[in-house]
Amino acid sequence: MRALRAAWSTLRGRQLAGRNATIYPDDVVITSYPRSGNTWTRFLIGNLIYQDEPTTFANIEARVPEIYFNPDHVMRRLPRPRILKSHEVFQPHYKRVIYIVRDPRDVAVSFYHHNLKAGNIADGYPMEDFIPRFIAAEFDYRWGNWAEHVTSWIALRENHPGFLLLRYEDMKKDPEGELARVAAFLEQCSFRKIDSSPQMLKRAVELSSPERMRELEKAQAKDWVLTKKTRQDKPFVRSAKAGGWKSTLSPQSVALLESAWGDLMKRMGYELAGVHATAASE
Amino acid sequence: MSTADRLKNYVKAVSAVALGKAPAGRNLTVFPGDVFLVSYLRSGSTWTRFLFGNLVHSNEAVTFANVDRLVPSIYALPDRTLRSLPRVMKSHECFDPRYRRVIHLVRDPRDVAVSFYHYNLKTRVLPDGYPMEDFVVKWMNADIVPYADRLGTWEEHTLSWLRLRSNDPNYCLIRYEDLLANPTGELNKVVPLLGVEAAEQRILRAIELSSATQMRSMEATQSEQWVTTKDSRKDIPFVREAKAGGWRKQLPEESVRKIETAWGGLMRELGYALSASEQRPAAQVEKPYATR
Repeated sequence: MRALRAAWSTLRGRQLAGRNATIYPDDVVITSYPRSGNTWTRFLIGNLIYQDEPTTFANIEARVPEIYFNPDHVMRRLPRPRILKSHEVFQPHYKRVIYIVRDPRDVAVSFYHHNLKAGNIADGYPMEDFIPRFIAAEFDYRWGNWAEHVTSWIALRENHPGFLLLRYEDMKKDPEGELARVAAFLEQCSFRKIDSSPQMLKRAVELSSPERMRELEKAQAKDWVLTKKTRQDKPFVRSAKAGGWKSTLSPQSVALLESAWGDLMKRMGYELAGVHATAASE
Repeated sequence: MSTADRLKNYVKAVSAVALGKAPAGRNLTVFPGDVFLVSYLRSGSTWTRFLFGNLVHSNEAVTFANVDRLVPSIYALPDRTLRSLPRVMKSHECFDPRYRRVIHLVRDPRDVAVSFYHYNLKTRVLPDGYPMEDFVVKWMNADIVPYADRLGTWEEHTLSWLRLRSNDPNYCLIRYEDLLANPTGELNKVVPLLGVEAAEQRILRAIELSSATQMRSMEATQSEQWVTTKDSRKDIPFVREAKAGGWRKQLPEESVRKIETAWGGLMRELGYALSASEQRPAAQVEKPYATR
């Protein structure tokens, strides 16, 4: 039955590319662990590059397509160089990568809500129970856990000319400054000329604000491949903030995350709450 | 690609999926208990498959005709078939977080270069007489043949496993050179991961049945029965020298220098002494992070 279904979708050319997507050497791939600001980054870049018409959930897949939701032959027809969205761990054939990292404590909270929305966990599921499962990468296990994902890219590509590291928190603090770095990276990747004047950066940031994205989601959630089959009472664009974990996660959960990944968190510039970790290990 | 080629590929893809014949490859369904022998190409993984197979299956000797059933390669068989076979499998993939139990085989890249050069002659990727210097430059850029290029460079491939898993109790690194010099000792290291009894008798039998001499004589009669060799040139052997250090005689000095300049840090970390007289400082390597 599975084989028949797969054959039928191959026959109609509907088989989604996923990790088997054709990647050209001049492709730029936006990569991150899930719930790390990837969609926001796609909007920012879409609004920066396509200055004629604002980016929406209805046109994002044609501009900055996600490899998991589009057939390979459709993406192959896009003008090159392409910008693609992926959640893969280190892939040697991705030669130009914009990698987004986010505080795993916030990723955990966001991922919890994402799994509620997707129907993977029930309303009221205890966050305390979710955290160990998050650390063990029980959800979306093909991408590993947060630390494996980040390590795979950092250990292999940090300081390479084809690698741009963005921190979600820096993007929140200074979106225009970080977007200017993205524009410079894209130009260095011999991209078509981008107008990254201050006005254009400002425009892209405003067109990608959480308020606007929420409005768009309200109108388009049923059309967008990522959200259409999920619970419509839960938003995809959630708090869009940094540090929300401080008021959401219990000290035990924080301690669990920090004792699993503390070294890497520090290396990525995330200050540990620390005290809790020692308290819990006693 | 011409329209005819595209149509051919399309028909091939549809029928392979419909008939369930597409090799699993990266689309393999991974189960938590699976054991993977991972390595870059030409690093001794076939020999190691024979060793592991002979170690695990004490009532059947591994041959080229049955190796894909006893220690299956994820590239030879469809996912469906692999589900009913022993789950100690051979893979050449870069780091894949789904692989939980990993035996990682590494080999001196200077020997890998020589071996892969000959293998590309055998598979008709390169013509006879192709300059080895030119091959090495292209190989270091992962620009030889798509199935190999996809795996990244030798350095990327090796680092991806080493940096992600070296602290993991379910990961075991073995060097081809050590396996040659002291097969008993090295096999003893992997026995717990393979889940077999570490009886000495058993290990000696496996080594005996997997010797280069044995494998060469089996290749002579069975190469038509093995998917990896059946369509390749028969005048070039698959089981070649089965030695360490062959690069000293075969690899041009220029190529040695290039490899050592690019990958010297990792080579030294793995214990491969550099030949260049000037000792370069070891690469700045971060300690691996605890990931689980």
